[in-house]
Amino acid sequence: MALDEACLEGISSGNSPPTIRFYRWQPSAVSIGYFQSLDAEVNLEECGKRGIEFVRRQTGGGAVYHDFEGEITYSILAPENFFPKGITESYREICGMIVSGFGKLGLKAEFKPINDIIVSGKKISGNAQTRRKGVLLQHGTILYGLGLETMFSVLRISQEKISDKMIQSAKERVTCVQEQCDSSYGECLEAIQSAFLEGKNHSFGSWSKDELSRANELAEKKYSAREWNFLR
Amino acid sequence: MNSGLGEFTFKVPGGKLVRATVKFKEKIENAKITGDFFLYPEEAIKDIECCLEFCTPLESEAELATRIAKALAMTRAELHGVSTQDIARAVKGAIQNAK
Repeated sequence: MALDEACLEGISSGNSPPTIRFYRWQPSAVSIGYFQSLDAEVNLEECGKRGIEFVRRQTGGGAVYHDFEGEITYSILAPENFFPKGITESYREICGMIVSGFGKLGLKAEFKPINDIIVSGKKISGNAQTRRKGVLLQHGTILYGLGLETMFSVLRISQEKISDKMIQSAKERVTCVQEQCDSSYGECLEAIQSAFLEGKNHSFGSWSKDELSRANELAEKKYSAREWNFLR
Repeated sequence: MNSGLGEFTFKVPGGKLVRATVKFKEKIENAKITGDFFLYPEEAIKDIECCLEFCTPLESEAELATRIAKALAMTRAELHGVSTQDIARAVKGAIQNAK
């Protein structure tokens, strides 16, 4: 989250280029949307027991369990004028890259407004967008594998206890790449990455000193702070 | 009911979840709106919550929705996943659930 914000600030000031990043969460962690209540959405005690961290995002949307083994996370950051002005249209354009990436794996995916991508009627990707300082940031998940038992233990999805019925219900609404095809994690990453980069002049790079310095500052002072994570 | 603290949550069909937590006496003293919706710019959530303060608990859903719409119009803020009517319904529901 800190890297996203540092990069956003860099793009806004003209010191960073438009950036696409792919990453995974280590340790596995929970992120909540900007408008959510941490207490209402996350079982903090269970997170502590399992060594799962938590953070509030800058973006709206829901609570997400980011499993190290089961997820590819992406962020795309660029000046707002790179994208359609309308919120829905910009979601459609960026999610269209993910749809195209799934297509490279042989999966027929479609964008489901507001912010989901589905395969065979089930959610395989969730996305969230913010626009600040003239820069659009969209980040999201590509579900490679499903860790439903852990997810249900750390997210307060329901007031019911974990049950086979609830897990079965979730399985009916959510899918992952492993359920749909035989692609490896690396093949999935390559397909999504290739789709994002299509038609774009690009170079592979690393974070600048300024971006890293600012990200470290934000990670320490904002994203680790109780004031931010318990904001609402 | 002249005072209390109440909460109401519902999922908008085909949309997102919204929760209102409202504390009131003769007027709404504090309203917190949470959920998995989107609002651009995000800071406009404070405008929504502020406009609800000092409303009377007796205002109708339609009146509350009008207040919320006016607050959003000030910054041309956009709600996605829930509407001003949905938020008003959550606020009214929280008042009715108050203990």
